[in-house]
Amino acid sequence: MTIEKLSDIEFGEELPVFDPDTGIPNITRFCEAAGWMGARFTDHEAAKKEGLPGALVPGIMSQGFLAAMIHRWAPNADIRNIDTVFRAPLLADQPAHINGVVTDIDEDTGEVEIDLTVTNDAGETRVFGTARAIIQA
Amino acid sequence: MILDLHAHSIKSDDGRAKVSNYCQWIRTKNIPIDGFVLTEHRQFDFESDYSELAAKNELVILKGAEVETEYGHVLVFGVTEALTGEFDFSNTHLKLADVIAACEKHGAVAVPCHPGRPRVGMHAHIDTYGIPEGVRIVETYNGGSRDNEDEIAQTMAEANGYLGIGGSDAHIVSHIGRCATRFNSDITSEEQLVAALKAEEFEAVTFREQNT
Repeated sequence: MTIEKLSDIEFGEELPVFDPDTGIPNITRFCEAAGWMGARFTDHEAAKKEGLPGALVPGIMSQGFLAAMIHRWAPNADIRNIDTVFRAPLLADQPAHINGVVTDIDEDTGEVEIDLTVTNDAGETRVFGTARAIIQA
Repeated sequence: MILDLHAHSIKSDDGRAKVSNYCQWIRTKNIPIDGFVLTEHRQFDFESDYSELAAKNELVILKGAEVETEYGHVLVFGVTEALTGEFDFSNTHLKLADVIAACEKHGAVAVPCHPGRPRVGMHAHIDTYGIPEGVRIVETYNGGSRDNEDEIAQTMAEANGYLGIGGSDAHIVSHIGRCATRFNSDITSEEQLVAALKAEEFEAVTFREQNT
């Protein structure tokens, strides 16, 4: 179900979980499009040689996943801000699950605040943050 | 009574939660805690008064701090103006022994938090600095723990005879109450919290499965 207007939203409402494609081919396509190529994003062995646990999902790609999740839920949302804290690396080729939940609604301005959490299969938080978006009345 | 002893609000540099939204979340989602302690990073928040908000939501909202030492991060409960004069809360290179001594002098309690976490947890520094003197309590359930961090904390606590507390380490609204501490007595003030910790009548609890 998608959201069209502010009155459709309740405090505590959960957005549909989004499992983004963190595979190397998808990351490579993203890096090419963003002009941000780097072996640490596209090659596990090269990333390990840099001291990383494996190839990383680029941070800006993670933010793109978060924005995509919000727009899947509310296609007309005007996203004003996505603020993330990276607690642990988000690794390529490892399943990631993005959860979102509405934690504030300003009826006057139409702004909603959404808690965002990216977890792995073990339920451990890799990235968390908040987004602010305007939803039309 | 169950209190989440480790939470951050927008007063912390990496905190994203308004205290009022914590309250709304606890009540809307029926989170099984009676209140929480705001332990802002590297500071004590003297200016905020949450008494009205607490009363309105029938929750206990207390304040503490989270400071940084060579053994990692440490929660401080029972902060007073005099205690903040003993050491610089914003210093990221405090000595744990100094923090513990200052807390003892001013009737506060210092509790190493997420001790099983690499870099910012006490366990990671024991090989270098040895087992610290004066630690009685550590955080054995932390809502932000990954991998086997809580297990490391619990094993360390058992080996050294430490008592354990729980806290969510919430930085966003929906993480409040993931872990907490159950007390045998009612607590409505920082003084009562310190007394209950010193009485050693509490246990760490986790609600992570229910809340995630």
